Amino acid sequence: MTPVQAHILDLLAAATLIPLASALLLLFAGKRWLGRLSGWVATLAMAGSCGCALAALSAWQDNLPATIVFEIPWIPVPGQAAGYLNLGMLVDHLTVAMTAMVTLIATLVHLYSIGYMQGDKRFERFFAYLSLFTFAMLGIVVSASLTQLFVFWELVGLTSYLLIGFWFERPGPRLACKKAFVMNRIGDAGFLAGLAILYCKLGGNLLLPAAGDAQTPSGVPIETIYQTLTAILADENASILSPPAWLTFAGIALFCGAIGKSAQFPLHTWLPDAMEGPTPVSSIVHSATMVAAGVYLTARLLPILTPGVHLFIATIGLVTLVIGACMALVMTDIKRVLAYSTLSQLGYMVLGLGAGAYNFALLHLVAHAFFKCCLFQCAGSVIHAAGGKQDLRSFGGLWRKMPATMACFAVCTLAIAGASVMGVGLSGHYSKDGLIACMHNYGLALDEAFNPGGTTFPFAHIFYWAPVAVAYVTAFYMARAFTLTFLGSPREPHLIEHAHEAPLTMLVPQGALALLAVVATPWGMAFWGDRINASAMIVPWVQGGTEEQVGETAVEFTHHAVGFAWLVGIAGGVALYAAGTKNAARLAKLPGVRLLHTWFLNKFYFDGLYDGFVVGLAKAVAGLAWILDRAVIDAAVDALAKRVREGAASISPFDPDPSGSPINSVAFAAQAADQALRPTHSGRIRLYVLLAFGSAALILMAVLILVFAARAAGHAA
Amino acid sequence: MSDLLLTISLPHFLVVSFLLLAAGISTMLTKRNAIGILIGVELVLNAAAINFVAFNHYGWPGVRAAPAIDGQMFAIFIIVLAAAEASVALAIFLNFYNNFGSIDVERADDLKA
Repeated sequence: MTPVQAHILDLLAAATLIPLASALLLLFAGKRWLGRLSGWVATLAMAGSCGCALAALSAWQDNLPATIVFEIPWIPVPGQAAGYLNLGMLVDHLTVAMTAMVTLIATLVHLYSIGYMQGDKRFERFFAYLSLFTFAMLGIVVSASLTQLFVFWELVGLTSYLLIGFWFERPGPRLACKKAFVMNRIGDAGFLAGLAILYCKLGGNLLLPAAGDAQTPSGVPIETIYQTLTAILADENASILSPPAWLTFAGIALFCGAIGKSAQFPLHTWLPDAMEGPTPVSSIVHSATMVAAGVYLTARLLPILTPGVHLFIATIGLVTLVIGACMALVMTDIKRVLAYSTLSQLGYMVLGLGAGAYNFALLHLVAHAFFKCCLFQCAGSVIHAAGGKQDLRSFGGLWRKMPATMACFAVCTLAIAGASVMGVGLSGHYSKDGLIACMHNYGLALDEAFNPGGTTFPFAHIFYWAPVAVAYVTAFYMARAFTLTFLGSPREPHLIEHAHEAPLTMLVPQGALALLAVVATPWGMAFWGDRINASAMIVPWVQGGTEEQVGETAVEFTHHAVGFAWLVGIAGGVALYAAGTKNAARLAKLPGVRLLHTWFLNKFYFDGLYDGFVVGLAKAVAGLAWILDRAVIDAAVDALAKRVREGAASISPFDPDPSGSPINSVAFAAQAADQALRPTHSGRIRLYVLLAFGSAALILMAVLILVFAARAAGHAA
Repeated sequence: MSDLLLTISLPHFLVVSFLLLAAGISTMLTKRNAIGILIGVELVLNAAAINFVAFNHYGWPGVRAAPAIDGQMFAIFIIVLAAAEASVALAIFLNFYNNFGSIDVERADDLKA
């Protein structure tokens, strides 16, 4: 092992463990000793962790694509060649970059929370949860094996539940955190099934595939899932390109976990509801931690997924992309607009991963993390200033009161819209346009694959036309949110009369994030593009990827299709909403638009469908069970009782003396015994416990004495 | 003596398990809060789980340690059962709270003779 590798390993271990330490400290000592200082303690700890991660990142840049896997035995598994399930750290370019991104955003969110959560009665606990949340995400990022990743995966689920339901006194957060938890469990059931399939087929150690070849700190090469899998497939005369069915099933099942965490199409409904949590929670959930976990998992597993799974992933991403953008168009709650926008952007990433645009999808993950976190923080500042009001229709004209927040929001709106002039743009421009170019190739390749004869397969082209269309919609709905909030004249003057700029602890992270949204991607391109190409992900069947591979035609197509999407979208949004919602309301009345508007506003009736179908099904089953209970079981018991009574009546003439009969004397004896035992039934549960355990102990003692006595007798004989 | 301290063997696990059992039973005996009693029950279950795993690993005099992982499997069953038991118990407590406005188990004496 080179010293640099050891150094990076140490730094990343420290970056991961510091948030855990600070969370434990706050949980146990926060309320009593730290009090209001807790916020600063947690923020400083996160900053330390961030420092470690950034140091690792800069050390990595000098270092070429070595991958380090470090293992310690965790659970012994008899009968496995490896013998143990291992706990370890996997360090490659993806780990290093993700750790830096997560810790950077977490630090800024911690800082922001000091201002936002000021005066909350569970101030300390909030920071403890937030740090634990960050730790769980970092654990996912550095995990060496799929089993270990699953542990941290569930920890993310738990901490998100705690944070979304942080204000559990109110019914909204209570429902929202339950919903997030249940939706994630549905996805995780799939994850677990995928894990079980891989475990059965590949054996105990499911080391995650790394970019390039993995080796231990001592330089010994390590076999990851990818190598094990290709060896097994070679034995079966198959390959990942012509896979056995179980591999495709495993891939789809594992991706179900990502569907849950990253809020993809069938399980997406929890993400907008998670808005009920405090705004700092939304800003971290929607950027660096929770939703990023699903994308990270998919990116990690990409080399072992079969082409069928890739198509499945791309399709799910496509649906999420489109429905997210549609719903973001019509929401009136500022945080919900941003939430549906996240949904749609996650759709971009997942679509890109499915199509093999590995580095552009991850680039978009990082770029999106910065600007979406900033947008949420700005929204939080606005809500704070407007006294808790979140409705876009009642804002307006806030630019006069909060110029700094408006500037941050404007920069991030341009970033998410992908603004660019003469090829130089903000972060969204590079990642999104790259993605769309890759999608163009993927769509054409699909067309080719399904129609070798040259007839057009119409559905293949939707894979690049939909992202193009959504690029316009994205710019439009972001312009809508921006215009309605900050521009024009105040629609409810009394609401913003007392509005004021956010305190410094909230402004500083906002500004820093806005800055990062501008500069992150050019830097990210340098890091991401070179590293990933150099470390040669072993995914030959995946096309797209590098800029060279994207090719002239795709780049030209992207330029023509979305080059000015940001300008068109933003101009349209500002023009339509500059005078408030009047014009838009008129537009929504038009016949065709009206139907769509109702659909979007009701979120395509997903919630209703789930309530009606799943809950309705459960109720139907319960009703059926009730009928069964009444009609069959009760009826049988009643009939039996009737027979017994009839029998008793028929033999009663033969019983001459009721008071002295044998049956009655049994009954009297039982009654007497009952009277004698009555005092023991005092209704005091603890007495029962004592009696139960006391008599168990006495019986045990008696048995032991008997055994020893028998043994002693045996010796004597 | 030094051997006993330096190498972890079956008795160490049994002592831990016994302490857990004792803590669990005394919790059950002293708490009036239903949740506290539930915690005591969980401790007792964990004591049993530790015993299963320890005996599986070491065997006892005259019985060789099992090569399989039956004991571990039982421990996992215990964990699953404990989860089911906790959810049922919490549902009961919830209903109890709805009826009595408290979860003091001393008040659950409607059926007393």
